[in-house]
Amino acid sequence: MKRTSLLKRLFILGCGKGRHQLLRTSLFCIFLSLLAGAILLLLLGKNPLEAYTSILQGAGILPKSRYAGRKSQLTDFMSLLNYTTPMVFAALSVAVALKCGIFNICVSGIMVFSGFMATVLVGYSNLDPFLAKILVVLIGALSGALIGILIGYLKHRFNMNEVVVAIMLNYIISYVVSFFIQTRFIDPITRQSVAVGQNARLTLFDHPVGNLKMEIALVFPLALLAVFAIKFMLDRTRFGFELKAVGSNSKASKYAGIHVGKAVVFTMLISGSLAGLAGVSYYLGSNASIQPRVLPSLGFDAIAVALLGNTTPIGSFFASLLVMVFDCGTTYMSSRMQVLREIAALITSILLLFSAIGIFFRNLADRFEQEAEEV
Amino acid sequence: MNTIIIEGLSFSLPLFIIAIGGIYSEGSGITNLALEGLLGFGAFFGGLSYAVLSRTFAGDPTVLIYASLGFAMIGGALLALLHALMCIKFKANQVISGVVINMLSVALTAFLANQINASFFGQPSNKFLLEVFPKATIPLLSNIPILGAVFTDFYTFELIIVAVALFMAYLLYKTPTGMHIRACGDNPHALAAAGGNVQKVRFWSVIASGALAGLGGMCFAYSISTTFSPNIYMGFGYLAIAAYIFGSWKIGPTFLACILFGFARSGGYVLVQKLKLPSSYGDLVLTLPYIVTLVLLLFFSSTNKPPRALGEVYDQAKR
Repeated sequence: MKRTSLLKRLFILGCGKGRHQLLRTSLFCIFLSLLAGAILLLLLGKNPLEAYTSILQGAGILPKSRYAGRKSQLTDFMSLLNYTTPMVFAALSVAVALKCGIFNICVSGIMVFSGFMATVLVGYSNLDPFLAKILVVLIGALSGALIGILIGYLKHRFNMNEVVVAIMLNYIISYVVSFFIQTRFIDPITRQSVAVGQNARLTLFDHPVGNLKMEIALVFPLALLAVFAIKFMLDRTRFGFELKAVGSNSKASKYAGIHVGKAVVFTMLISGSLAGLAGVSYYLGSNASIQPRVLPSLGFDAIAVALLGNTTPIGSFFASLLVMVFDCGTTYMSSRMQVLREIAALITSILLLFSAIGIFFRNLADRFEQEAEEV
Repeated sequence: MNTIIIEGLSFSLPLFIIAIGGIYSEGSGITNLALEGLLGFGAFFGGLSYAVLSRTFAGDPTVLIYASLGFAMIGGALLALLHALMCIKFKANQVISGVVINMLSVALTAFLANQINASFFGQPSNKFLLEVFPKATIPLLSNIPILGAVFTDFYTFELIIVAVALFMAYLLYKTPTGMHIRACGDNPHALAAAGGNVQKVRFWSVIASGALAGLGGMCFAYSISTTFSPNIYMGFGYLAIAAYIFGSWKIGPTFLACILFGFARSGGYVLVQKLKLPSSYGDLVLTLPYIVTLVLLLFFSSTNKPPRALGEVYDQAKR
């Protein structure tokens, strides 16, 4: 009897049929990319285990050996949550659109737009902090929803390819916002827009808690809420069902009496407003100003993050957390081990590369399984 | 007026060659959003080859400049190999593969450029310095009024691009190979029934698109900043996508679209200078090609015909 090779059995275990196949595939992809990253680190002559440990330490998952004054593992972890918040919104935005069969790569552009609107309308005012923060969130969601509706409408009414529309909008928004920043709101020293006031920021910086100074992302609870709200909508409501139906077969949905156009426009409304929230929590939260002519790479990374999370809300949340652990932890790792900071982006993109071919892995595992049964 | 034409052409032609790359890939049925990453990786590879060769090779530096164009094509083709494998062998979603390859390209070139500069050339930098590309003027033709500007002070890579573009157009529309490529994009099963190999045709089309994008990217690196730096990722790949969609996936109309984009850009810059506006108004000029594309698509999207099998994974069992 021929024994199935170890590699094949590993594959079957990782992505074969059975319970939680999608989850196991994602974990398998993460494992593979960590392996690839480890090989890369070995080639550079570094100890991969030490590198991964220091990434976790930098992100506040594991304790560091010593801390600067008024910092602790908790402050690192809170900072991680602060940077994760926009990514969660952005990944949710992509995931919702993908469920309806729409590929939203306008997240970056929407983020710039909503960030700019909130900055200009509220960021420079001296409103009461409580009111200002609520207004920022509302303006973010609304301006994002506007762009989302525009994309959905153009797709539905004029049959325009949403990817093309989104690419065009990304650049139009980026340049127009850059124009206004450079003519009206430029800070001559940083070459970015003038920083927004503390009253409008969605993150409290150096906020004293006990004897620690930490960053508190005020909208992180909102992000969590959004995760569960989207999950509820997709699984438990009529609209969620229609949305998924249109995503899997728009013609069949039409024959079944679902208003396809309405579903598309509403989906983009939700996706757009989530992207808008990502924008305000990025530009008025973890950052305080907008760099002209730069589309945030976070909006593009979110596509792959949503994919890693199998385009489910809960999955997107954990995928965002994982990617941001890498992102936040690398500064500490690179300073401790003299590895270039860019390696984090590299490992992340390898991870996303693997998750993009998850389907192939699953098919491969199926084939191996069949072979194993035949022998 | 002359500056508009000279500057416009030096922008349009690299864009055009990248767009032809896109037409090859999409014409064969593989969506290619990876053009941005491919052109950047091509420019990286060309820049690296120039940096290495200029330290070891003692001869005429212009030879190196032309050689770097060739290396850029190889670099673009290498990354396109990954896209081809992902889309054809691994059956990944083509749009997602494209986006991921763009990200990978940005991360990989930033990492490698830093690492190579630090470990081999002993300088902390993420750039490779290049020479100024040779320029030429054709004596008689350049004296023609207005149109003469086309033959004045042009980068010699523009000639290479025109030659390559003509060859690629001939290949796509006048040869059996081109027929196979177009059949692959419209009806792969018909090609399979006629005895062609769909996977193979698509594979080589994607590789060709990578090589062309690499060439275009290297020309941008020379003409815009004479360095390779991460600033190469300025969205020219996406602009090329806009150009061929605008040109309805045909090489001729795409050329006109590229010329329009290039002249709108250079014309706008000249206008900003002439009216003595602050340079930030250049940003508004840069939106022109995108707005034009969006508006025109609004009217022509019903007549705009992408290849019929674009983006579909080829499944032999599905007839």
